[in-house]
This record gives sequence, structure tokens and C-alpha cells, in this order.
Amino acid sequence: MAGAPGAVRADLEQVFRTGYPAVVSVAARVLGSRDEAEDVAQEVFLSFARSAVPAAEAPGWLAVAAAHTALNHLRSGRRRAAREEAAADGPLSAPDVADTVVSREESGRVRAALARLPRKQAVALVLRHSGLSYADVAAALGLSPGSVGTTVRRAESALREELTSHAPVR
Amino acid sequence: MRLFADRHPTDGTLRRLVDEPAGVADADRAHVAGCDVCLAGLARARADADAVGAALSPAALTLAGTTGAAGTDAAWHRLSAAVAAQARPALVPAPAPARASRWRGALRSPVVAAMGVVVVLGGAGAAAAADWLQVFRTEEVAAVPVSTTDLVGLPDLTAYGDVTFVSEPDVREVADAAAAEDATGLEAPEVAELPTGVTGEPAWTVGGRAVAEFTFSADRAAQAAAAAGETLPPPPAGLDGATFRLEAGPGVAAVWSEARGVPALVVGRVTAPVAYSSGVPFETARDYLLGLPGLPDELAAQLRTFTGDGTTLPLPVPAELATVSTADVDGTEATVLATRDGTLHGVVWVEDGVVTGVAGSLSEDEVLAVARDLG
Repeated sequence: MAGAPGAVRADLEQVFRTGYPAVVSVAARVLGSRDEAEDVAQEVFLSFARSAVPAAEAPGWLAVAAAHTALNHLRSGRRRAAREEAAADGPLSAPDVADTVVSREESGRVRAALARLPRKQAVALVLRHSGLSYADVAAALGLSPGSVGTTVRRAESALREELTSHAPVR
Repeated sequence: MRLFADRHPTDGTLRRLVDEPAGVADADRAHVAGCDVCLAGLARARADADAVGAALSPAALTLAGTTGAAGTDAAWHRLSAAVAAQARPALVPAPAPARASRWRGALRSPVVAAMGVVVVLGGAGAAAAADWLQVFRTEEVAAVPVSTTDLVGLPDLTAYGDVTFVSEPDVREVADAAAAEDATGLEAPEVAELPTGVTGEPAWTVGGRAVAEFTFSADRAAQAAAAAGETLPPPPAGLDGATFRLEAGPGVAAVWSEARGVPALVVGRVTAPVAYSSGVPFETARDYLLGLPGLPDELAAQLRTFTGDGTTLPLPVPAELATVSTADVDGTEATVLATRDGTLHGVVWVEDGVVTGVAGSLSEDEVLAVARDLG
């Protein structure tokens, strides 16, 4: 029988290898940290391993689960001490197209604001910025495609306000 | 078709113009191109999208960690180890873990087998709704022992939110097995050899897919809790307003009647129920709902244990009326239900997403013989 309790789905490795980078990418957008995103990805795939989600629906399921799980981490403060340690290391050594580099302070503010958004707005925003189409986001969240733009726009407006109200003079 | 929209498109439409203009109607695009107000709105939307995109971009943050195939390999090894550690006790089939056997030994009834099938028939189906995140698919039937008092006391979900029936199953009789198959797309269960005392042709009943949506309301739940003299535990983030969609069916049942009017034999087959969530993880919702005031603590704990993998359909069984055991039906573990007076027996199992049940005023051996020979 397919669904004995505790059974692990047979297609797990294939789905994992295909979907892992995307799941990490979604979680990293929420958390701003790849290490933490990798932890979230492990949680997401552990849930997936026990699920009966059809493989064809896996990408959408994984993206939504990644966003929710990462947002739960943000909200519950289950952030690893490593993040604080990393923050003490000094300036970013990341790729530095000037306009895209954000200070850790800004990143912290964005994440705090993200955690305060209504959950649907936060998930829609993260999925859209992770590259899901409007139709994919709509399908994943039970929204009409027309309302995805509105939902994402509201989220961006709120986050932008958060960024500009504290923006350093450059 | 109008080429130019009279009204300003919404902010959402302007937002979509930023990064998916092909998804915006021509008339709206034409309007925006010639409208200073909308062009300004579009510019603001683009600026906000760019700023937020940059702020969220992981590339702008620490990228410590291995990327590429090596990173995926390492992550796969980590996951494999975690899965193996979790699965080890659960994969042992027969001698179930102590926690499971405690309640498993205490369970089920044959009336409930028939009832379970009927409930599922009247309940919902499984065609995947592409716009819903599937969170639950029944792969095993198990019963939970409850007293009838508990059954009556189970929380009515309408007290905790809105329940909408999206699609009714339209249960009806059809002429024969072929018509039942045509109506449902399911393989009609054919009984090879009727048990002694069961004769004649069965009446065939079919039901289509039933769909219901439940939207949780924290306000409503708080009122229900207050009415019961309880305080509602704070709902997890995102649950308020979250919608769950339950689907069941189609299903088909064949009923052989006795002169007394009691079914001598019922054989039913239905597509297993599936639940979808519009966002909130199933585990979150389940754990919270199970802990709501009104659900007996013991039953809640049992449900929590046993839907731990999210793939079990619990059938509440009146403990004083029925007993439960398990049996093998062609390699699949089945739940056997017996009334305490021994006059009725039933067996239910799930295979490949389809629930099949056999029940009647028969002995356990008889229902199992029918089950194992079903065509």
C-alpha cells in the first residue's frame, strides 16, 4: 500500500534535486541568509517526504511551504545565533552592484516589516520576487490572477515605506 | 473590444505592468500609455518593486554556503539522514509503536465501515484542484474510539468559521455496475461469490464529487469558546481567515437487501477524501483545531498522534458499540470493525487513493472473503 504511516515517497530524491535550489532561494528572500534558508529547506523537504502531494504539483507546494516556514522562523525568532555573529563581522563582502547592496540594518528592517505583513501579502510578495509568474502565485495562494498584483503592490508599498522612512542619506 | 480603457486601471494592474505586461489587457496598456496619472503610478510601482526586490535579494546578503551541485549533494545527504531517523520506527508495519497499539487495540465497528463509506460517498472527491495546495490525502483508514457522548460533543466547525458546500455529490441510483462505472469513472466493485444467505442483484448507488470549503474565523471561534465558558487559545499566525477545501468522491456502492430491510451486504468504493489548504500548513491548522475547546483531550491527543503523517482518515467509532482490529486484504492492511454483539462486520481499506469498504450482517470471515475476492 502506498500510504503506510511513516512511508517515504519514492520520488523524493528526484523532486529534491530538482526543487532544492528554488526552495532555498524562496527561503533566503524571506530570511536574508543562505544558511538559515538551508535549514528551512530541510524542514520543507521533510514535510514533503511524508506527503502525498503529486509530483506535478510539487513546485508550487514547495514554494509556498518554503515561504510559510521561513516566515514562521522570522516571526518566532528562531533565528540562529550565527546570524548575529555574522552581523558583527563588519561590512558585506557580497556582490556589490551599488544599487542592490543593502545594509544589514536595512535588511533587518525589511525582514521585520515582512514579518508584520498579513501572511498572504508576505507570501505573494516573496513568491513573485522568487520568479513565480502571476498565474503561479495565484494558483498557489487561491487568489485570482488579477488580485495578485494588488496584493504584491500593497506589500511592496508597506515595505518601501519602511525602507525610506529610515533610509540613510547617501 | 475596446482598445482604450475609460477608467484608470487598478494599482494591481499597474504593478503587473512592471514585470508581466503581457498579462495586462491591451485596453489597460493603451490607457496607461496616454495617461499622466497612471504613468506616475506606474513609475511609483516600478520604484517600489525595484527597491523591495533589491532588499529581498539574497545576493545582497551573506551568500556563505555552498552553491551548485555540491551544495545540493550535501543537503541531500543531510535530508536522507533525517528522513531515515524519522522513518525508522514508523516503517515497522505490524508491531506498531506502543503509542499506536494502545489505541489501535481499542477500536472500531462494522456499522462504521458501512457508515464510513456512506460518509465518504456523501462527503467529497479527489481530482486535484490546481489552485489549491494539497495538504492531506487519505492513504489509510483508521478508527478512533470515542463514546457516543464524545461524538455528539465534537465541535461543529460552523462554530469556528464559514462552511460552504461548493459542490453537492448528487447521490442517485443507477441501473447496474456498468452505469455506475460510467457515472463515476471508478471500477465498480464486483463480488465474485456472494456469501451464504445473500442473493439477488444489488441496488447500485453513485455519488459525484462533493466539495466543501471551511474558512476559519478567530472571532467566531472566540465566541464559541466564550459560550462554552472557555478561552480560545491564540490562533497561529495566518490561520484567521485561512480556507481549507475538502473534496471527496466520486463513489459507488452496491447494496444487497434483506427482507428485514437491513442491508445484507454493502460494498462501496470511493475516491479518498483530499484536503487542500490555501496557505497555512496543514500541521499548524490541525494541531490548533484539535486543541480547540469542546474536543475531548483524550480524543484530541489520539487524533494528533495518528494523523501525524497527514495521510490517515480517522473514522470515529462508538466504543461501546463496536470493536476494531486489523486484517490483511491482498497485501493491504485493512481495518475490521465488529459490533459488540457480533451480528455485523465490516472491513475498510485504502489503496491507490481509493477507499473500499465491505460490510453486512455477516461474520468477519465472510466480509473478509468478499473483500479479498472483489473484482
